Amino acid sequence: MTELSQIDLRSLAAGHKRTWDAFVSAASPLINAVVRRSLSTYRLSEDDVMDAAQDVFVRLCANDFRLLKTYDPARAGLSTWLAVVARSAAVDFARRRRQATAPIDEVPEAALAVEDRHVEKLKIPDGLLTERQTLILKCLYDEERDVAEVAQLLKIDAQTVRSTHHKALLRLREHFKGEPP
Amino acid sequence: MSTERIPLDDKALWRSFATGQPVAPVAVSDMDFAAWLEGNLPEAEAARIDAAVTADPALRQAALELADILGKPLPAAPARMAVRAQALVGFAAERPVRKGWLASLLPDFSQGLGFQRGALAATAVIVAAVGFMLGGGISKQYQEAIYASSQSSSSTAIRPLGSDTTGELTDLFSDAT
Repeated sequence: MTELSQIDLRSLAAGHKRTWDAFVSAASPLINAVVRRSLSTYRLSEDDVMDAAQDVFVRLCANDFRLLKTYDPARAGLSTWLAVVARSAAVDFARRRRQATAPIDEVPEAALAVEDRHVEKLKIPDGLLTERQTLILKCLYDEERDVAEVAQLLKIDAQTVRSTHHKALLRLREHFKGEPP
Repeated sequence: MSTERIPLDDKALWRSFATGQPVAPVAVSDMDFAAWLEGNLPEAEAARIDAAVTADPALRQAALELADILGKPLPAAPARMAVRAQALVGFAAERPVRKGWLASLLPDFSQGLGFQRGALAATAVIVAAVGFMLGGGISKQYQEAIYASSQSSSSTAIRPLGSDTTGELTDLFSDAT
């Protein structure tokens, strides 16, 4: 079976049937995994999962493959970009489906949280921590992820996560020494 | 995977900084987000996405889920998922490519399986017709050669009846007398 990295993107964007078929075969496992994971907090049927995956493929080929043509191979791998696109499409699908069918009382709280698009500003002076330090503290404390997961997310060593975390806490303690936040 | 956790007093310190003051989420394009997930962005650009992911719980959740999926072997997708998706694009969607007049005289094998089969069938018919004609010509020549050889051999060894009866009758009557 053809791998995603072997797909001829020009031929794909030109709409060649055989390239599209090869692309679908190569991309299906990834899109299937992302869609299932994204919809796991919603109570949706297997048919809904199939429809959401089909939505991803429709997005990719709609309007003369307009979305596919926005992909830039110099910036990221096709798998990573497809995963991002698939997740966005799946979340949109779930929102549309929920609005169309489910009474609000029946929606699990976790699913509601996905739509909660407000973001929180921290009570930390600007410039005290770098964005990377803040993100690592957020992942470790707010998301309760372990060091290995954060390292995997940021494509850095676990030791780098530990040292960044340690330096960030030292700065916080130093800054707020004798002054409760 | 490690299950290492951070000490609770550090967590309590961190939690004390959250104010709950809402701010607008920053828009991040799919391409930027993918590049960030791969660690391909320059430091300044990465810091912008870091800030957006830090501030937006939904974006953070997406980042953690995608990093997890992309780091693992994937199970096969149901067959009908691919079948349905493949049906979205047909041969009619293929865009015609402008060719030169000489190239336009030649068959285009990128036009799909149906065209290829047609071209192969036509070629097979032509080959069979030429073969038949050649075969017929050879067999005619062969028949003529066989006939010619039989003619020449019969003239020396076996003479057909009635071909030369005058001498035989003369011999018969001379013996009788």
